[in-house]
Amino acid sequence: MLTSHVKGVTKGYPLLIKATEVKVNEVEFNPQFVSRMIPKLEWSALLQAAEGLGHRQDLPAELVSEYEKDEEFLKKVHRALLEVEVIEGCLQCPESGREFPISRGIPNMLLSEEEA
Amino acid sequence: MSEPGREAGCVRFFCTAGSGMEPFLTEELRRKLEAEDVTQLSGKVLFSSSVRIHSVVELKAAERLFLLLKHESPLQLSSLSSSAKAAAELKSRLLGDRKQWSSAALTWSRLQGELSQGRGAAANTSSTPRGRRKEEGRGSEEQMEEEKYCDGKSGKSGKREGEQREEERESRGLRGGEEQEEAQTLEKKRKREMSCGVEELILEKRIKRKNHEEADEKERQDEDDEEERRMISSRGSVQSGSRKEKDRAEDGSVENMEHDSVKPAGEEDQKPAPLSRIRPDITSSVTFRISCKCTGSVSRLFSSQEVSRVMGVGLSRMMNWKVDLKNPQLEVNVYLSDDLCLLGIPLSRLPLAHRSYMKTTGLRSTVAWAMTSLAQIQPGSCVVDPMCGVGTILIEAAQEHRAAWFLGVDIDDRQLQKANENIEFAELRTRIQLLKASSMALPLPSGSVDALICDLPFGRKFGTKTNMAANLPVIVAEMERVLRVGGALVLLLSPQLSFLLKKLLSPKDPTPPPGSEVCPCPPLSSTEQQTVSTQPGVKPSPPQERDTQTGPQPPPPPSSLKHHTTLRVSLGAIDGLIHKYVKVDV
Repeated sequence: MLTSHVKGVTKGYPLLIKATEVKVNEVEFNPQFVSRMIPKLEWSALLQAAEGLGHRQDLPAELVSEYEKDEEFLKKVHRALLEVEVIEGCLQCPESGREFPISRGIPNMLLSEEEA
Repeated sequence: MSEPGREAGCVRFFCTAGSGMEPFLTEELRRKLEAEDVTQLSGKVLFSSSVRIHSVVELKAAERLFLLLKHESPLQLSSLSSSAKAAAELKSRLLGDRKQWSSAALTWSRLQGELSQGRGAAANTSSTPRGRRKEEGRGSEEQMEEEKYCDGKSGKSGKREGEQREEERESRGLRGGEEQEEAQTLEKKRKREMSCGVEELILEKRIKRKNHEEADEKERQDEDDEEERRMISSRGSVQSGSRKEKDRAEDGSVENMEHDSVKPAGEEDQKPAPLSRIRPDITSSVTFRISCKCTGSVSRLFSSQEVSRVMGVGLSRMMNWKVDLKNPQLEVNVYLSDDLCLLGIPLSRLPLAHRSYMKTTGLRSTVAWAMTSLAQIQPGSCVVDPMCGVGTILIEAAQEHRAAWFLGVDIDDRQLQKANENIEFAELRTRIQLLKASSMALPLPSGSVDALICDLPFGRKFGTKTNMAANLPVIVAEMERVLRVGGALVLLLSPQLSFLLKKLLSPKDPTPPPGSEVCPCPPLSSTEQQTVSTQPGVKPSPPQERDTQTGPQPPPPPSSLKHHTTLRVSLGAIDGLIHKYVKVDV
C-alpha cells in the first residue's frame, strides 16, 4: 500500500517513491474501505506515486466527484492503493533529497542524530 | 436426521477473564452475543445466550469459556461438626441430581459437535447416520476409562459396587436427563438410530465391569474397554440400534449398541479422544475429571484435591461415569470460595485468548483487544501504533474493524520482522502497514491520525534501550501532534509510567498532594471495576467504566489531551493501567 500520507520530517511531502522491486498482490475488493480511504489521500500525491511506480494505470488526473458510487473508479484506486506493494526501493524527501530505504516492504524512516 | 441448524435454546455459560477485563467482556457480550442475564463476578462473567456457539468462541475479551453447570450460593460448611458431615454436605450441594448432569453433558456434547462440525473436523467415523453430531461429540468423550482420580486404589472396590448400582440408576437417570429440553433432539435421534448413547455406554460399562472386576488396572482400563467392545461388537450385527436399547438389561441389546459404538470407540482409543471427535454417544459413559479451586473458608476444611475426590466419587456413582485423570472427555471445573460456588465444563482446550490468527504474541490478546475497543475506531479510520512491537494490538484491531487502516511503527528490526510475519499469518497485509521509525519523530503529518493505540514498553518483558521515563514527554508530544482533534489515544502503561504521564498531562497544580494524583488503589470490591481519577484529590469514583473528567481548570500547559478513562488490568505477573485520552480543540 502506498502510504501517501507519510511525510518527511523536514516537512517534505509527498515523498517520492523509487522502487526497485514491486509486487502486485491480489486483494479482495472492499468498496467501503476504499471510499473511506480516498478522502484521506492527497490525490496528486497518489497519482505521482503510482506513476513513479509505473502503475498509474488509468487513474484520472482529478478526483471524480461522487466516487463512492463509481465502482470502476474505486477498483482502480483499490488497485493502486492496496494491490501494488513496494518491496524494495526508497522514499525520497522532495525537499531535502534524503532517501529512506524500503526493505521487505518496510520503509526505514529513522533519522540520524543530526537530522532530527 | 439432525435438526437442521438447531441452536440451543438459551445456554448458560461463563467465562473467566483477567483481572480488570470483566467490564470489557460484559460489554462485548452484550454487544456481540445479545447476552442476557449477565452477571459479573471477580474474574468471571456469567451469561446466557442463544447464538451459535461459533460466535461465542469468538469472544475477544475472555480467557476461557465454560458451560455453566451450577451456580450456587457459597457453601457454608464451617458450621458442620465433623469432616464426614461436611463431606456429605459438600457432595449433596455440589452434585445435585442426575438430570442436571446428564443434560449438561448432553449440551456440552452437542456444543462440541457443533464446534467441530464448524471446524470441519467432523471425523464422524461411526456408522451412525450423520446428524447425530451431538451425540457423537459426546460419545467421543466416552472413553471408558478406569477411575483414576483416586490416588489410592481403595476407592475402586467401592466404586465398582457403586457402579453396579449406578447402572440401574443411570439408565433411569439417563431417561430423566433426556427429558431435559436440550436432550430432546438428541433423544429423538437416538431413538431413531442407535444413538450409541448412554445406553451403549452404560451397557458397555456394565459389561466391562463385570468382566474386569478383578483385573482392572487403572491404566489399562480403556484398552480393556476397547477390547470388550470389540468383542461384543463382533458378535453384534446391528449397527444402529433403536431406542429399545434402553433396556440395557439385555446383553443382546448391548451388542447392538456396542457394535455401533465400537468403531468409533476403537479409533478413539487409539488416540486421545479429541474434544471435537464425533461419535454417537451418550452421556452416561463419559470419562471425566474434576478440577477444583478452593479458597476461603471451604479451603480450610478441604483441600482442592479432597473436594475433587469427594465429588469425583459421588459423581461417578451417581452418573456411572468414569474418572480419568489423564485424558478425560469431560472436565468439570469447580470454583469454591466465600463468595461463590460455581461449576462448569470447559468448552475448549485452549483458552479463547489463544488466537488462531496470531503467530507470535506480545501483549496478551485480550488486553490488546480491550484497548482497541476503547479507541473509537470507525470505518475508514487511520489507526497508528507508534511502538507496535510484534503488532498484537494492530492485528486485534484489524480483526475487529474491517474497514480501517493501520500503521505500525517500531524502531527495532526484529520486532518489525515478527510483526511482518504476524501480519502475513493473519492475512492482513493490505490493511496493516509497517514503518521503521522512531516514536519520538513520527513521519506523519500533524492531525492525520484518527486513533492512536500504544502499549509502551514497560522495560520488563520487552527490553528497550531508551529510557522510557526520560523520553516519555517527547513521545507523548509526538502522539498528541499526529492525532487529529476528536481522535482517541489509548495507552497501556506500567503504574510508574502512568504516574509520570499523569504529571505530564494533568492540569498542573502548584503543589499536587503527594501520591494523590495517581492512586493505584486496591480493588474497590471484587465486583467493581478500577477507575482512577486524574484530578488530584478526587477519590476513585464508584464503579463506572466511563469516568469523564472535566477539562483542566487553570490555563494548563496546553495539553490538548483530555483524559477520559483509566482502567487497571492484570497482565499476568504485573498490573498495567490503560489510559484513554481524547484530543480536544485547545
